[in-house]
Amino acid sequence: MIRAAELTRRFGERLAVDGLTLDVAGGEIVGLLGPNGAGKTTTLRMIAGILAPSSGRAEVAGIDPTAEPARAHEAIGLLTEAPGFYERFTAERNLAYFARFYPLQDVDRAVGAPLDLVGLADRRRDRVGTFSKGMKQRLALARALVHEPRALLLDEPTAGLDPEAARDLRTVILGFKHEGRAVLLSTHNLTEAEDLSDRIAVLRTRLVAVDTPDALRAAREARVVRVTATAWEPRVVRAMEAEEYVLSATDAGDGIVRFRLADPAQGRPRLVADLVERGVDVLEVVEETRSLEDVYLDLVREEDS
Amino acid sequence: MIRRVGNILLKEWIGMAKTPSSLLFGGVIPLLLVGQAIFLAWVLPRFLAPGTIPFGATAADGLTEVEQFRVLILAQFRFFVLLIPAMIANVFATLSIVEEKITRTLEPLLATPVRTWELLVGKTLSGAIPAVLLAWASAGLFVLLTGALGWGALLGHVLTLSWYLSLFLLTPTISILSFVLGVIGSSRASDAKSAQTLAVVVVLPLFALIAVQVTGLVWFTPLLTGIVAAGLAALDALMLALAGRLFARESIVMRWR
Repeated sequence: MIRAAELTRRFGERLAVDGLTLDVAGGEIVGLLGPNGAGKTTTLRMIAGILAPSSGRAEVAGIDPTAEPARAHEAIGLLTEAPGFYERFTAERNLAYFARFYPLQDVDRAVGAPLDLVGLADRRRDRVGTFSKGMKQRLALARALVHEPRALLLDEPTAGLDPEAARDLRTVILGFKHEGRAVLLSTHNLTEAEDLSDRIAVLRTRLVAVDTPDALRAAREARVVRVTATAWEPRVVRAMEAEEYVLSATDAGDGIVRFRLADPAQGRPRLVADLVERGVDVLEVVEETRSLEDVYLDLVREEDS
Repeated sequence: MIRRVGNILLKEWIGMAKTPSSLLFGGVIPLLLVGQAIFLAWVLPRFLAPGTIPFGATAADGLTEVEQFRVLILAQFRFFVLLIPAMIANVFATLSIVEEKITRTLEPLLATPVRTWELLVGKTLSGAIPAVLLAWASAGLFVLLTGALGWGALLGHVLTLSWYLSLFLLTPTISILSFVLGVIGSSRASDAKSAQTLAVVVVLPLFALIAVQVTGLVWFTPLLTGIVAAGLAALDALMLALAGRLFARESIVMRWR
């Protein structure tokens, strides 16, 4: 449904997005994670046909948004980072204004259904200037839905919202998956990404990793082994770090040393055997459970280095 | 296309109706200019020394010196009236574009199937149409007041072919020019006041027109009025093309701050 193929964008000398290739199927939510300036918004803008790629191609429902923006926009619902409404107009008039740009038969119905969905039906005749930030964000989501798009591009949908408003919005977003829409969601919120996304794409100008949250975590979890011993001699830690199957060894204090292994399956038994051979009194060997945040930070650091 | 441009027009006009400052401005400026022209035509001839025909006035059969001078002043209203679209269209343009920038509505707008040129046409017409209508209404009020003051006999010397050409050719072209300059200024400015500085480009030459006409240096015959209107229409096309470039999606998203 949403396809980016070698999507690249330069602003002068600066490379904002580098060769991004990513697919989002109907009924799938893909979370786009990355630090500020990683190219998330630029990516969404290119897919939405607002910015032209320097090279590569985007496609939504088989339509190239750069070549046919008007047709593509009928298939895309974009939630921009800033909600952006005419504050003196009512919620209903704001939505109707945007809805009339689409070839819709019944604008009133097109506006009414999304307002119901985001829980703002009873405030439809209130001026947007009187709305809280959370309400504006929900209204912006309603606006992205007035033409029933097959693909949704959501840029930081819950940024700046209180926990309750964010949870409500996440519930609505999860509903899109069951309606068969393709959702590409840009966020800084790792918990949100994990809760909502079928797959997570980590972007740092280029695509660093893309997989399910579990697979991303599993790939990293297995690499770190935490060993507790009665005592550690620094020379032993240094010697272990010099072994070819150990990527790093970090003394965390309290008798704990963390070993990152190149190949966990083969490395773990060797690690224990080598430690015992060097006279280390091993009390416990545990594979570390890593949060998505740890994984994300690892990926970004590795990319930076 | 018509539906989308109509949608923009409707939204802009509802927005104007909800903005007290634009309503006040749209109402006060025409009244001030009509009042000023009538007042000058009433008061200035009182200071005319007997036996003198002022520079720029032309002798006309059956008119006293005072009446000739009054005709000269009243005839300048066709240039005064051009100040109305020059100022109002510019103010409407800057209010409209700056509001879009402040409320950050342009990006969601660009994500709809609206074409950027439809947006530009809709915005331009939304400012130009009321500005032209206000100018024409002011001209109508001017004629009514002139008759009411007992100067009806002078109107035959004032409402010449040049007067009508000026009203129906120069008013729309100046209105569009002023609006487009407002759009260009607004694309770079972050507030309405700084965006409106470009209006000077339109307003100052209009004062120059009045000056050269009053002093008799140049007399705006129908031919000259037509030539000026054609020149302005060409300038409108040029400025619209420039504004069209500024209205490119990418330019709006990346450069309009």
